[in-house]
Amino acid sequence: MTSPILRIEDVHKSYGSLQVLKGVSLTVQPREVVVLIGPSGSGKSTLLRCINLLNPPTKGRIWLEEQEITAPGVNQDRVRQRIGMVFQEFNLFTHLTALGNVMIGLVKVRKMRKNEARDLAMFELERVGLADRAHYYPAQLSGGQKQRVAIARALGMDPHIMLFDEPTSALDPELTGEVLAVMQKLASEGMTMIVVSHEMGFARQVANRVAFMENGVVVEEGTPQQLFEQPVHERTRAFLRNIMQ
Amino acid sequence: MQDFIDLLNRVTPDLLQGTMVTLQIAAVSLVLGMIVGLPVGVGQVYGPVWVQRILGAYVTLFQGTPLLIQLFVVYYGLPDVGITLGRLQAAFLTLGLNSAAYQAEYLRSALQSVSEGQMTAARAIGMNTRQAIWSVILPQALRLALPAWSNEAVAMLKYTSVVFLIAVPDLMGQAKILASRYFAPIQIYLIVAVFYIVLVGIAYLILTLIERRLRIPGLTGDAR
Amino acid sequence: MVQDLLTTFTFIVQGLWVTISVTAVALTVGLALGMTMAIARVYGHPAVQMAVSAYSVVIRAVPVIVIIFILFFVISRYINLSPFWAGALALGFASGAYQTEIFRGAIQAVQPGQMIAARAIGMSRLQAIQSIVLPQALRLALPSWGNEATLVLKDSTLVFAVGVPEILRRAQQVSARTFEPFLAFGVALLLYLALTLMTTQVLRWLERRYRLQM
Repeated sequence: MTSPILRIEDVHKSYGSLQVLKGVSLTVQPREVVVLIGPSGSGKSTLLRCINLLNPPTKGRIWLEEQEITAPGVNQDRVRQRIGMVFQEFNLFTHLTALGNVMIGLVKVRKMRKNEARDLAMFELERVGLADRAHYYPAQLSGGQKQRVAIARALGMDPHIMLFDEPTSALDPELTGEVLAVMQKLASEGMTMIVVSHEMGFARQVANRVAFMENGVVVEEGTPQQLFEQPVHERTRAFLRNIMQ
Repeated sequence: MQDFIDLLNRVTPDLLQGTMVTLQIAAVSLVLGMIVGLPVGVGQVYGPVWVQRILGAYVTLFQGTPLLIQLFVVYYGLPDVGITLGRLQAAFLTLGLNSAAYQAEYLRSALQSVSEGQMTAARAIGMNTRQAIWSVILPQALRLALPAWSNEAVAMLKYTSVVFLIAVPDLMGQAKILASRYFAPIQIYLIVAVFYIVLVGIAYLILTLIERRLRIPGLTGDAR
Repeated sequence: MVQDLLTTFTFIVQGLWVTISVTAVALTVGLALGMTMAIARVYGHPAVQMAVSAYSVVIRAVPVIVIIFILFFVISRYINLSPFWAGALALGFASGAYQTEIFRGAIQAVQPGQMIAARAIGMSRLQAIQSIVLPQALRLALPSWGNEATLVLKDSTLVFAVGVPEILRRAQQVSARTFEPFLAFGVALLLYLALTLMTTQVLRWLERRYRLQM
């Protein structure tokens, strides 16, 4: 068996007296797609932000490809380059075109030359099916298109793992399909992904593993089949009943 | 009427000379204001608390007091403590520092209106804070601040007129000399008013053109 | 040194009252002008609207000090007025243009439905303006008006140029006597700072008190 790409061990996160994560452990293998489900406020998004150190954990340790990224003295910017992140609200850079959004990380962070960066950025936009929108500004794109540009921007950094924080929650229902299709394609290409989502259909079809979180802990995890059809915990069952209605 | 045209012919060369001084002072002050105002605005948002305090005090001092008195402190007061400046130097320095306070303030509120997600996204692709401020936050903030900056530029153009009170020969300075030379203050100052209207009009047109040029869909800081 | 400071301060502080009076007169004149012009600009005959716009655009393109000079010489040629009144009126005339814009914006920000509703319950146009639109507009205008008030307060020092004994003129006089211009103008500066900071506090309190939930 190969070594895991990501290992999370007993991660805690609190803001003042508010405990959001109360000891989360999770291991992700290369090429695996893990979907995190759970009620809002259960700590799913916080966990993602802990993983890429946007909000470093208050306790616990995280290893990315055998390197402990929570160790003191780790260059957090370098870590984030290896972890792609897609946000619920897209967070595209308003002052840059779609192409510019993908290029800026290549030029400023990966220090690529401009024309080289432009070629790669075009390639990434093609990958998400938006080469023809390269010169549009975010305000001129639909929500689904914005999210696909955001995915291309993350892909441009050549991440080893991608984190998706409710990527379709801010979209009109008719626009979620195009984003999910891109994510499915990524998964089939072998990208390791952790996805926080309420899209149960996507979880069933694409995920290798589903983890149910509540109150800052992982209550249970398993294959989609196990978790959706034979959940062990009553809390998981209650949540699934609620969401299936 | 003929008298008025004669007067106009006689005073125009001097007034044009004054106009050049006015434009020079406005331009230097705005540029100096930008050079000082940019770091002050950024420091007020991203600096450590003690830096924010000091910069805030600077902005309050210059925004809370009349430009004319600031000019008098610099030109008449500073020699008292060993700093003697020429009239033009004093004008450049005072108007520049004054404009910097206003420009910093516009930049500060523009920086604060850039949504937090922009910083988060920049950090997420591996930028450090400095890179994120420089290549993501600041370019957006500058565009958002542009309408306010245009207003400041026009205001500065008009406010240069106080420098004649320390005997700088700007448009107003020339007017004062001419008014007593020809004993026709009302006519002369009316002509000067027309000069200012033309200057402000041209400045307004140029600034509108620049704003249109730099417009980005979804990024408008229409303060008006 | 302490003696100098005391002399300087007591001399200059006597100009405080003049500064406040000039500001008060100018703001009142500007308020009356601005309100009238704004109503004319929004509800008046098209020709009147044009005239008001022209006044506002022209005055706002000219430096306040130029307006003060023109009006000072015009007024003093035809009527016998003290520099204080000539200066204060001129400052008010200039502020009127800025206040016109403030009140115009505020009136136009009141929802059109308010006017329609007022007419629907049988009010005349004038009644509707007076008792429905204006009370709302005035509250909406308060933040910008406060800003204009501090601007006029600072601009009031420009009447120095026509010889009104306000703070700056007093500072100049005392510095000619003590030969300590840094002290004199510094005191004037700090006095003004205290004045504007106080004004800002009062305005903030007023705004909080009369804020309109809409």
